[in-house]
Amino acid sequence: MNGMSMTVAKHSILKTWREKWGLISWLVIPLMMVFLMSLMAGGGPSPTPHGKVLVTDKDQSMLSQFLLGSIGQGPTAEFFTVKVVKEAEAQTLMDAGEASAWLMIEKNFMDDYLNKKPTTITLRKNPAQTILPNMVETGMDVMVDAADYLQMLFADELQKINKMVSTGKYNDADLVLLTLAIKAAIEDVEDTLMPPQIKLEEKTVEAESDDKPAFNFALMMFPGAVFMSLLFAGMGMAMSFWDDKVNGVLPRLVSTPSGIFHYFVGKTTHAKVMFLTVSVVLMVVGVAYFDVNVTLLPLLIFWLVFSGVVIWQLLLFFSLLMPSRKSANIIVNAAMMPLAMLGGSFFPAEAMSDGLAKIGSYLPNGMLLKAIKDVMIRGEAWQSALLWPFVIGLVMALVFWFINLKMVKKLAQEARS
Amino acid sequence: MIKIEALTKQYGQFTAADAVTFDVQAGEIFGLLGPNGAGKSTTINCLSGLLEPTSGDVSINGHPMVGDGIAAKQSLGLVPQELALYEDLTGHENLNFWGQAYGLSGEALKQRIDTVLDLVGLSDRQKDRVETYSGGMKRRLNFACAILHEPKALLLDEPTVGVDPQSREHLLSAVADLKTQGTAVIYTSHYMEEVERLCDRVAIIDKGRIMAMGTVDELRSQMGEKDLIVLKGDFSVLNQDVLEGFEVMEWSDNQVRFWCANAASQLPELLAKFAQCHIKETAVKKANLESLFIKLTGRALRD
Repeated sequence: MNGMSMTVAKHSILKTWREKWGLISWLVIPLMMVFLMSLMAGGGPSPTPHGKVLVTDKDQSMLSQFLLGSIGQGPTAEFFTVKVVKEAEAQTLMDAGEASAWLMIEKNFMDDYLNKKPTTITLRKNPAQTILPNMVETGMDVMVDAADYLQMLFADELQKINKMVSTGKYNDADLVLLTLAIKAAIEDVEDTLMPPQIKLEEKTVEAESDDKPAFNFALMMFPGAVFMSLLFAGMGMAMSFWDDKVNGVLPRLVSTPSGIFHYFVGKTTHAKVMFLTVSVVLMVVGVAYFDVNVTLLPLLIFWLVFSGVVIWQLLLFFSLLMPSRKSANIIVNAAMMPLAMLGGSFFPAEAMSDGLAKIGSYLPNGMLLKAIKDVMIRGEAWQSALLWPFVIGLVMALVFWFINLKMVKKLAQEARS
Repeated sequence: MIKIEALTKQYGQFTAADAVTFDVQAGEIFGLLGPNGAGKSTTINCLSGLLEPTSGDVSINGHPMVGDGIAAKQSLGLVPQELALYEDLTGHENLNFWGQAYGLSGEALKQRIDTVLDLVGLSDRQKDRVETYSGGMKRRLNFACAILHEPKALLLDEPTVGVDPQSREHLLSAVADLKTQGTAVIYTSHYMEEVERLCDRVAIIDKGRIMAMGTVDELRSQMGEKDLIVLKGDFSVLNQDVLEGFEVMEWSDNQVRFWCANAASQLPELLAKFAQCHIKETAVKKANLESLFIKLTGRALRD
């Protein structure tokens, strides 16, 4: 690279640095989108979504207490906090959107259940939430089904329990008889419920499962956001050729002995430096907030700079095809949107339909993004994950580089503006 | 130093330059005079390598622009009609950029930047961004960028358009200095006074063709040494017959304009003919390039 190319690169970096808002937008907008999207999805680096279930127990019976306990214990306790409240307070909390669901157990719930009468449990869901209220609803469906089966299997026993509860008269002999009856009923259905062909095998889960990255929506989004930054930066640097055409620098350069070649080499160096800057900053953020593996940093930064150059060359090609700066701006913006959306920058490919995800994987940015996600998130070996995308990207970058050099010369000489 | 032979540039059916031929010697300022769209900039663009001629040859310092372009461009400086500067860089940074583009570097570049900044009077503003400069200062910087490498041939394409009188004076005296240093200069303009003041030879160009070429005096002589006399007064009392034998341009009740050979010697006699017209103002204008241009093309330079 000669002195002229160095000067072009230096001045272009200087201009980008002075135009701070452009640089900031390349970095901040994609990161903001990751944070917002992960917040909307309830994901992010925080552990598990947690909600509040309100319960109004008008029955205050043993069975209603049993139901309350079953919601607030076991695996569901990881997702919900159960709060027992009066009807009026529950109404207020639901109206304020401070709970995921409200369960109301009507009076005589236990009597009706034990006497096989129709009974109602009312569930009201918070419409502003999607996942947690649906989990409550599914859990309640399971419980209602289980209660039905219990009624069918232990009808006589439940009748005896009902009698004991209603009269308050029972002795040890009655309880022993009841227990034996329940045991006999279980043995009767044991062959159906636990057939011998179903064999439970105990297996020790190896420690490696702890090392696997947990599902983290923000981490899933982050590489796409970085590629969005590359797209923004590539777009800005593609349009800079038109700026130099309009301000008269490109045409005048044709009359100098250095000419367009050294100018283009300088611009390529500028692009590499800017992609390096963007990549380093974003990867530092990635390590700090998105669980990016620090040992992968050199590889990730190299890949991002390489990907940035491929994307820049592609966008530059589109812009140089156009007859004016205005139309170049329109076409580059128009190209960027589908590239970003299908290429996995707005939504991770994992959240797309199979068809769209496949189309996205054929786009240059989608292909390069998928390759690096295979390494970052899915833990694939980098040699195999990156080899073909690298070869394809390199060929693309080289071919577009030579085509674009010719087109920049043409741009300088033609009366386009 | 600069040689153009039968230069033709066509855009489809339209001929922007039609068999243009001239040469410019070292230390000579050659004026290219014509209205907008006459073919001046096309000629300059072919000379600078920006456009490839449809036919004809262009060479700078003995190097053909097509075939040995890099050597030709090393001897060439171009001041384009439109500004060619980075507005968001400082004046010094712009000069550094163009100096590198012309192959300068290191201490030589630093010295040349200081010299040209001094020449165009921008030393004290060199660290300010160009976007803060006045129009005239930008023009001066635009000029300075082209002479950093001390070119043997300099093309100036309307360098004083939209320039304040102070900046214009700076530019014109800088061009005159370059002539004394042996630079061959092609100067295009539609400002008559500049061309008459600076240029050793002038070509009048219109519709892509050179209509006349020679020194300013030679071209003036084509007008037959006629001067334009303008009188203001009350001419309603006289008939136009009083000017029989003269080429009358205008006769109205309050103004008369006519061509007159050797006006200085005939003026007393002419004024006597208009004694009863209460003459309030008398002006005698020497034949200039503009009058020749009107005579040759039938339209004014600023059309």
